[in-house]
Amino acid sequence: MSADASDLSLVRRVQRGDKGAFDVLVLKYQHKLVKLVMRYVRNPAEAEDIAQEAFIKAYRALPQFRGESAFYTWLYRIAINTAKNAVVSRDRSPIEYNVDRGSTDNEESYDMQGRMKDSETPEGLVLTDEIRSTVNAAIDALPEDLRTAIVLRELEGLSYEEIAAAMACPVGTVRSRIFRAREAIDRRLREVFEGGLGRTEELG
Amino acid sequence: MNEELDSQLSAMFDNELPAAECELLARRLSRDADLKARWGRYAVIGAVIRAERGVALDGTMAGRVSAALSSEPALSIDTAPASRRSRASSWWQPLGGAGLAAGVAVVSILWLRSQALPGGSPVAAPVMVATRTATFGSPSAQGALQAASATTTPDSFVVPPIQQRPMMVVPATELADYVVAHSAFSWPVSRGNLLSSLMVSEPGTSSTPAESDQRAPRVQGNATQNPK
Amino acid sequence: MRPRIRSSERIGLLALALAIAGVASADEPAKWLERMNHALTTLNYDGTFSHWQGGKVEMLRIIHRVEHGTVAERLASLDGSGREFIRTGASLTCYLPDKHVVLVERTPAKVSLLGGFPAVDERTARFYDIKEVARMRFNQRSTHLITVMPRDQYRYGYRLWLDDSTAMPLKTQLCDADGNVIEQIVFANLKIRPRIPDSAFRPDISTAGFQWLRNDAASLKETVVRSETVWNAGRLPPGFRMTVRAAQTMPGSGPVDHLVFTDGLASVSVFVETHVVTTSGQAPVVESAHVGSSYAFSTVVDGHKVTAVGEVPPQTVRFIAAAVKAEKASGSAPPPASLAPLPGGPFARTPPLH
Repeated sequence: MSADASDLSLVRRVQRGDKGAFDVLVLKYQHKLVKLVMRYVRNPAEAEDIAQEAFIKAYRALPQFRGESAFYTWLYRIAINTAKNAVVSRDRSPIEYNVDRGSTDNEESYDMQGRMKDSETPEGLVLTDEIRSTVNAAIDALPEDLRTAIVLRELEGLSYEEIAAAMACPVGTVRSRIFRAREAIDRRLREVFEGGLGRTEELG
Repeated sequence: MNEELDSQLSAMFDNELPAAECELLARRLSRDADLKARWGRYAVIGAVIRAERGVALDGTMAGRVSAALSSEPALSIDTAPASRRSRASSWWQPLGGAGLAAGVAVVSILWLRSQALPGGSPVAAPVMVATRTATFGSPSAQGALQAASATTTPDSFVVPPIQQRPMMVVPATELADYVVAHSAFSWPVSRGNLLSSLMVSEPGTSSTPAESDQRAPRVQGNATQNPK
Repeated sequence: MRPRIRSSERIGLLALALAIAGVASADEPAKWLERMNHALTTLNYDGTFSHWQGGKVEMLRIIHRVEHGTVAERLASLDGSGREFIRTGASLTCYLPDKHVVLVERTPAKVSLLGGFPAVDERTARFYDIKEVARMRFNQRSTHLITVMPRDQYRYGYRLWLDDSTAMPLKTQLCDADGNVIEQIVFANLKIRPRIPDSAFRPDISTAGFQWLRNDAASLKETVVRSETVWNAGRLPPGFRMTVRAAQTMPGSGPVDHLVFTDGLASVSVFVETHVVTTSGQAPVVESAHVGSSYAFSTVVDGHKVTAVGEVPPQTVRFIAAAVKAEKASGSAPPPASLAPLPGGPFARTPPLH
C-alpha cells in the first residue's frame, strides 16, 4: 500500500476533471503551505496570497505530475519557488508597460484599490483566536490515550505503525483512538465554524 | 452519522487508508460538502496542535482558491507529454513529388490523421471519432452533396441543436494553408488562438472540446456562473 | 526614476479614474474591444502565455513588432515541440525541430496584418451580448472583464480581461454559447516596449541538418488562373455577410477564390478551388476537420472543391460551405481578381494578390 494513496487518489480525480477533489487537497494542505511560505515572507496576508498562487500553479501543472514524488513534496517545491519569486519581484507586476514614462502615473491611482484580506479583518482575527482556544480546550479534555495518539500523529508526524509501537497497542486501536479524538474535538469545533465566519461548507 | 465513513475519513486524512478504499472515498469526498467541511476541520485541528502561529485558521483561503479555479478549465488526463510525442512520430509520412507539394504537406501533416493520396481519395483513416456527415465513397456525387446539405441547412434560423459529436480530423492537405490564410482575416484575439493552436504539437486529439465538456459537465458549469 | 506623486495628486488622479469608470456609456464595452484590437495590432510586445485547449496546456512566447508599417511576429512553443513561426515582412518561416524541417513561405509584401479583421459595429450587438461585467485585478494590473456572449449557437463567445492601461488581453477565454470554456490564453508576463531589436526574431533552435523547403509564391505568378465564375453563398447564418472576395494561389491546391464572411466578430473563410475536380468515377469526399477550436468543412460544388474554415462552431462552417453556389457571371467582362469590399463593410482591405 502506497503511503501516498490518499493524495494520489485525489490527484487522479483532479487530472480527470474533478475540481472538487482539488478543493480537498487545498483544505488539507493550506495551513502547512502558508506556514512554509512564511519562512520567506513575514506578512501573513502576503503569505496567503503566495500560497494561493502556489495552489493555482499546482493545479495548472498537475497534468505533469506523475506520482514520482509525494504530492505534498511536489506542492512544497512549487510553493517555495513561488515564494522566492514573489520576494524577488515583490511589487513588480509581470506585466510591464514601458512605452511612455509618463503613462505609468495611471497605475498609481489604481493601487489605491485595496483588498481587505479576511485574516486582517477584526472578525477573521477573532475567529482564529476562538478556534485555537476551542481546540486546545478540547484536547486538554481528552482522555490520555486519545490525546497521546492525536498529538503523536499531528505534532510528531508518526505513522500509525510507529504510534502503535510507541503506545504498545495494535494499529487498529491507533486508528480508532485518533478518530475518536478528532470526533471529540470536532464536536466543539463545529459549533465555532457553523456559528461564525469561515464556513468551509461554502466550497463545492 | 456514519461512524465507519468518518473513521475512514480520518484514516485517509492520515494517509493510512488502503488504496482501494481511498478511490471510493475520494470520489465521495469531492462532492460532499459536509465531508469536505469535516476534512477541513481535521486540518485545522492539526494546525492548532502544531501551534502554527500567524496562520489564519478560518479556512477561507480554500474558498478563494476554489473561486479562482472556477474560471480555470478542467484538466484532462491526455496531457501527459510522453504520449504526445509518441503519437506525433506516427503521423509524418514523407510524400513524394515536387519539393513544393512536400513542403506544404509537411505543414499540413501536422494536422492530419490520415492523408489524401495524390489521386484525391483518402487512405483508411484511423478509427477515431467519426462524423455523421462525412461520406466516403458514396454512390454518387449528388448523393454526397445532398447528404451534406440535408444535415447542415436548418429550415429556419432557430437555434440549432447542441454541438454534435466531435468530428474526425481528415482534412485535405491544404487545410493548414487555409488556416493560415484565414487567420489574416480573423479578429486579432482569434488570430492568437488560431496560431497558438497551430503551434501545439498534437492537433485535434480525442479530447476535442465537446468531449472535454461532456466529461465533467458539472465542473464546467461552475465556470459559466462567474461573469454572467 | 519615476517621479513621486504627491498625495494630493494621487487623490486627484483617483477621483478622475473613478469618474471615468463611473461613466457607463452603452457602447463602452464595444469600445474596449476596439481598443484591444488596436493594441494587438499596433503595439510592440513580448510575452509568454499559456494556451489551454482540449484539456492540454502549452506555454508559448509571442513577440510582435510594427515598424514602418511592416509587421514582424514570432510565435514559439516553449515546451513540447519547440516549434516556431516567424513572420518578418513578406516571409513566413516555420521551424519544426521535431520534424527536422524548416518551411519557408513567401507571401506578397502587400499582405498587411493591420487591416482586414472584423470590426465591432451595431450589427454585431444584435448577435452578441457585449458587457463589461467587472473591474478586477489580474497579475497586479487593473483589468476590465468584458464578456462577448453569442445569442445563438452559430458562434463562439469570449471573456476578455483587458488591461486598463494598454487594453491588451491579459487573459482570454473562448466559450461556447453555454459559457463553457473551450480555449484559454493567459499571459504569464508581458512587456510592451518602444523598440524590439531584430535579434528577437531569430529562432532559438539550431537548424543544422534540417531539410529546407521553400514555397515561393512569386514563382507561382504565372500559374494564376482567373476564375470565370463568381461564387457566393446562397444563404448564411444570421448576421453573417460577405466582406472580402479575392483570388489567391494556395501552394498545394493551386488557384482559389477566397471569400470571407463575418458577423463583425467571427469570420469564416471560404476557399473555392478554381480547377474542377476530376472525379474519375469516385465520389468526391466531404470532410470535416478541426485545428484547435476552429473548424473546417470541405465539400464539392459543381465539381469545385469548397472549404470553409473559421473560428466558429462546426455547424456554422458546414452551413456556409454547403450554401456556396456559383452566380451567373455578369456580362462578358471577366470578374476582377479582387473586388473592393462590399459597401457597408466596416473595413477596407487590399487582399493578397499576385
